[in-house]
Amino acid sequence: MTEEALRAEQLRKVYTTRGAPPVEALAGVSMVVHRGERVALLGRNGAGKTTFLRIASTLLRPTSGTIEVFGQDVSRTPERVRPYIAVVPQEGKPFFHLTPREQVYTYLRARGISRETAKARTEDALERMGLNDFADRLAITLSGGQRQRTMVATVMATEAPLLFLDEPTIGMDPFARRAVWDSFRTLSTRGSTILLTTHYLDEAEALSHRLYIVEHGRVLQSGTSDDLKRSVGGTLKVSLPGGAALEESFRSFGSVIEGEHLTVIVAPERLGELMDLAVRSKITATVGPVTLEEAFLRVVGRSIDED
Amino acid sequence: MKIEPVPVLSPFRGFSAFLWTEVLVQAHENLAMATSMVVQGVLLVFVWILDPALIGVALVGAILFSMFAMGQRVLNEAAYVRIDHKANDLYLAGPLSPEAYFLGMSAGILVVYIAPVVILWVLAIEVVHFSVAVGLLLLALSACVWLFAASVGYVFSTFFRDNRAIWAYSSLFFNVFGVLPPVFYPFGKFPEALRPVVLLMPPSAAAAIVQQAIGATTLTSGQLLLASAGLAVETVAIFVFAIYWARRTVREN
Repeated sequence: MTEEALRAEQLRKVYTTRGAPPVEALAGVSMVVHRGERVALLGRNGAGKTTFLRIASTLLRPTSGTIEVFGQDVSRTPERVRPYIAVVPQEGKPFFHLTPREQVYTYLRARGISRETAKARTEDALERMGLNDFADRLAITLSGGQRQRTMVATVMATEAPLLFLDEPTIGMDPFARRAVWDSFRTLSTRGSTILLTTHYLDEAEALSHRLYIVEHGRVLQSGTSDDLKRSVGGTLKVSLPGGAALEESFRSFGSVIEGEHLTVIVAPERLGELMDLAVRSKITATVGPVTLEEAFLRVVGRSIDED
Repeated sequence: MKIEPVPVLSPFRGFSAFLWTEVLVQAHENLAMATSMVVQGVLLVFVWILDPALIGVALVGAILFSMFAMGQRVLNEAAYVRIDHKANDLYLAGPLSPEAYFLGMSAGILVVYIAPVVILWVLAIEVVHFSVAVGLLLLALSACVWLFAASVGYVFSTFFRDNRAIWAYSSLFFNVFGVLPPVFYPFGKFPEALRPVVLLMPPSAAAAIVQQAIGATTLTSGQLLLASAGLAVETVAIFVFAIYWARRTVREN
């Protein structure tokens, strides 16, 4: 068996609908995910993240290209891939007329997991997702966030070698999101590989070993979040509301990010000089670390929330 | 984590567990179990008012119609789970086989909705006084009608992208095939020229065969052959197609 959990080569997907022009959702995506890694696909709505995940998880046929999971060809022998994987679908919901406890347990049983193991894993997953107080209420009576936690608990409890998570924390409150992140970290230390899509930059940064920035069906950049942040050209960002008039002068300190305010990316050694200029010009300056947001903006040219 | 090679896979792996899942889902909707008998109940009252002598035929027809109507539940459930919940992705991108998903869902619905049908059986036995052989024949025909309807329901469920469209079409389909033809009333009352057509529709074909067995209708040997062969061939053909289609539609194009 290969040490690679997933390998995609030049994966393309073109959606064709009668009476409408074809839409190229993936335009030759290549990617390798190693066993035990947590990898995030980061991109705006419609970038192609879900399409990639659906192909990788055997739910969608690619137009061309190859994709393998643990050395098995996803296109040719999907039935040999499915026992290794589990998926949280985008906007997926549990059965409304099951309780979270029933949902997790019956799902594990349907995957062929023994009664004893299924029972133990169900209780563990409910505990970790903070669902114990609602575990015996029908899902129809739960909030959106609680239902999403039920979905994540269901898939986490499988402990499948490769987990595909499409926007797994959507609709969750910050505490629940952190609980989910902790659980994913625990799972990957036990050997599971995780491929998730998200448009939460903090989630991508906190959870993933590596990131792929996807736009218009292409991988624009990949690497660790530190790699991506370094590629911006500095490690500090200085926001200068009202600094537009002196943009040319500030531009000499580093790259400028267009936006509501003038923002300059600088190396720490040039910060003092820039602050002197700001003080002399009576311009307020706020200094902070460069985040993935700046990296994303530089790579894609637009904010992740922009449609 | 050690990744073991996938062993030889059974085509129905996960069937009983998914059946149990569906039983739990359906059993939590106990009001739906009661309302599943509304159409049959209303039609039985109509028949009773119009001609009480035909109530035996109507009771047997109600049993067959109930089995046929389970196909509508399969259609609605499969479409709802796929379109509204996307839970089919959760189950099918895993070791559960597509065949087990289709059959588990259908059989789960059968297990729950068979309870009110048992009442119809008790009434039919009381009113018609049929023999064990006729009872077994009715059981076999019910099974055929259920398998046909569940298969049609599952296949049709994959054609829709919007649940609102399904509500209209599914009730139309199941009422046209289950209420209009001679299921609740004797085959002999149906216009002669159209009789071959209804003998090719599984619910009315099954009803005609049972009506013949209880002496409520007289079929020619050609009609009996058409009804029996048509029902058998259609049931097997649509079931085989549904299995193929269940496998085919796991992955979208």
